[in-house]
Amino acid sequence: MQENILEVRDLNISFSNYGKTSKVLRNVNLNVLRGERVSLIGQSGSGKTVTMRTIIGTLPTPPAIIESGEILYERKNLLALNRIERNKIKGSGISIILQDPLLSFNPVLTILRQMEDIIKYSDVRRGLSRGHKERKELICETLAKVQLFDNERILDSYPIMLSGGMRQRVLIGMALLNQPKLLIADEPGTALDVTTQKEILDLLNMLVANEGLSLLFITHNLGVVREMADRIYVMQSGKIVETNHRENIFNTPQDPYTISLMESVPPLYGKKVIDVKNSNPIPDEMIKISNLTKSFPVRTGFLNRITSENHAVKSINLSINDGDIFGIAGESGSGKTTIAKILVGLHQPSAGQIRINKSNLEQLVELKDYRKLIQIVYQNPGSSLNRKRTIAQILSVPLKFSDYTDKMIKDRTNELLNMVDLPISYSSMYPHELSGGQKQRVAIARALSLKPKIIVLDEPTSALDVLVQGTVIDLLQRLKKELGLTYIFISHDLSLMRNFCNKIAIMFKGEICESGETKDIFSNPKHLYTKALISSIPVISDLEESLKPKVTDEERSMVLQNTRKI
Amino acid sequence: MTQPSGQELNSERDLGQQRSLTSGQMAWFRFRSNPSSIIGAFIVLSVIFLAIFAPLIAPSPQSAGSFVDFINRHSPPSKDFWFGTDNVGRDIFSRVIFGYRVSLGLVIGVLGFAVPFGVFLGLLAGYFGNWTEFVIMRFTDIMLAIPPLAMALAITAVLSPNLINAMIAITMLWWTWHTRLIYRIVKAQMNEDYVEAAKVSGASHFHIMFRELLPNCVSAISVKISLDAGFVILFGAALSFLGLGVQPPTPDLGTMVSTGSEYLPEYWWEALMPGLAILYAILGFNLLGDGLRDMMDVEV
Repeated sequence: MQENILEVRDLNISFSNYGKTSKVLRNVNLNVLRGERVSLIGQSGSGKTVTMRTIIGTLPTPPAIIESGEILYERKNLLALNRIERNKIKGSGISIILQDPLLSFNPVLTILRQMEDIIKYSDVRRGLSRGHKERKELICETLAKVQLFDNERILDSYPIMLSGGMRQRVLIGMALLNQPKLLIADEPGTALDVTTQKEILDLLNMLVANEGLSLLFITHNLGVVREMADRIYVMQSGKIVETNHRENIFNTPQDPYTISLMESVPPLYGKKVIDVKNSNPIPDEMIKISNLTKSFPVRTGFLNRITSENHAVKSINLSINDGDIFGIAGESGSGKTTIAKILVGLHQPSAGQIRINKSNLEQLVELKDYRKLIQIVYQNPGSSLNRKRTIAQILSVPLKFSDYTDKMIKDRTNELLNMVDLPISYSSMYPHELSGGQKQRVAIARALSLKPKIIVLDEPTSALDVLVQGTVIDLLQRLKKELGLTYIFISHDLSLMRNFCNKIAIMFKGEICESGETKDIFSNPKHLYTKALISSIPVISDLEESLKPKVTDEERSMVLQNTRKI
Repeated sequence: MTQPSGQELNSERDLGQQRSLTSGQMAWFRFRSNPSSIIGAFIVLSVIFLAIFAPLIAPSPQSAGSFVDFINRHSPPSKDFWFGTDNVGRDIFSRVIFGYRVSLGLVIGVLGFAVPFGVFLGLLAGYFGNWTEFVIMRFTDIMLAIPPLAMALAITAVLSPNLINAMIAITMLWWTWHTRLIYRIVKAQMNEDYVEAAKVSGASHFHIMFRELLPNCVSAISVKISLDAGFVILFGAALSFLGLGVQPPTPDLGTMVSTGSEYLPEYWWEALMPGLAILYAILGFNLLGDGLRDMMDVEV
């Protein structure tokens, strides 16, 4: 039996807010062995982050109240230690990698300064005194560990000057500076693109193996867990509902919650995959995009003159049929959203032609009826619904500007709430009183209000938990069937697109590198980038893993190199 | 992919339990748990109460006018005259109460014009951007660069020194702060998707500015107003002190401090008591404003 490096015993935590106390953690027990990779998985609000913050000692008390429990790190109870002893462990024994690589840095200090500070403070705690030279040597060694070799440039950069993947690497490097024994990672890479995420996860795995670290990995993504954990804890509303070795969790999950989590992950390959077909036997062409280019002027200098142009999308050709669910996939910055904004008339194309329903877009945009043809659902309903307006007011906006009388508006609003399975009583509520999934339903209802033929879905589920994501997708499928809609589905989640779209276009640096029937693209990707993209997606079964296209590391870095911001 | 539909409902119900408080209740909780904001609210309400019912509360309502009582002139604070009397024997306490009427009138007059005007310009500048923004915001900057007292002196010198002109002078300077505040908020709100969603819905500019953006500015405006009220009273008092505001015999706190200061230090209450009255009102408005700011969680 190996020795525990970390053990959490019967941890109970409540939060007291506005005079009410609610229990956040109930009897949480977990342990990490030396050199082991343990994963804590759960949906948002399940208590993962509270657990993590209690372990590293940054839980704000109040409002949090630690009711009972022990956290043993190398047999010392962290919760019973005084502040000075506690700080020693904070800086050296346990290190943490946070989710958002940009938010974790101080934006006005260089990387070198921030890394040096970490060493300085730990020296103070440990009574060492290392000079600038020694510190820099240590930093360079650490950067080499996280496979960053362009030291001089990186160390003199400010966080904003580095790409997301580089920032995440530097962040991992920072966590390694004080030779920790336990690494806690809170959803690293979640904010990054899949291809970059894949590299970060590979790096973490390599470090854990080489340095003999223990890893506590906190995430909501089952696919990632499969690559990152020896043992898994499943957490639901503050309780650990299941714990087991990886194989057992994935092959024979016991708890109904774990099972529903497994089922909610859209499969990439295998028998469970749904092949979507256009329901129209002989579909008409709905949207024809030819040679579309959009560039944004880059203004520099004192006089704000246009010095160059930045191409967001370049020579796009697409044809979307009536009744299609057309997926546009790509990583951040690939130009997906630009296309969406051009289609709904928020941006003017720089060149090229778009025909919708056999009329030119430029003429259509001028017409009031354009709003009745095409509508959009945004990614984050928290931002796309005005916090200060009731659901009824939000839904009435498109109707008010389209010759509906007050009586008709009220009827239509109720009808819309019905369509998206929300009770009519919600019409007097404000968005913050609704959950994320319900808010997105309201946003969908608003897009439907003028009975459009086409709806642009700009990552409509990526701000939601997997379980809720499934219900929203089901709703979209039902609405499409009932109302005969055409969807343009913009997303970076390829496994979801595999099961939801009948056609798909892969975008890469503002251009479409491959497009066609979803089934063909996944079974036989032609472009190297498509292969790299699909092979980076974390999956939840060995079968899917074996069916993914094979890409060597050299090929992958060759394709991706071009995208890196240097 | 198909989910039992109860799944979402279950998880959503869990969330619902945590969110059972409405935003109003949460705001009230924040307000209540801050003792200084309760004190501020109490002071402000008492000032408003005194101003409204001045003729009923004042022990000697005739003191508000050009009443003369030479027997009691310069009498120190006592049972009969709580704040003492002034150089012609008028009861200072009664004059302070009537002085609050003038001060609150000034606040309402100034903010009643400055706030809507400033907010409107801020909305225009933030929403339309480009040259609209340039023209409005640079004009605002110019107005901000003028020293307020010099501006007020100029205006009251050209027109004539009285309450209305003092009000005009203060108003002309005051709107700029509201323009800047609203401009900043609207600029930040323009990045939110709901503005774009309204555009895609076919909403008019008027709708987006006044129905979508303005409600998101309301909490900041109300905090700003309550903080402003104190400063307007102070500025009005300063003008009156210099003889540019309200003219005698109308009781005004600033004028009273000014006349009273001639009799310092023997008859100290004649300047001190109106001064304390100014302090009391401003303290109240500032505490209330800070409380509101914490409650609504806005930056002003």
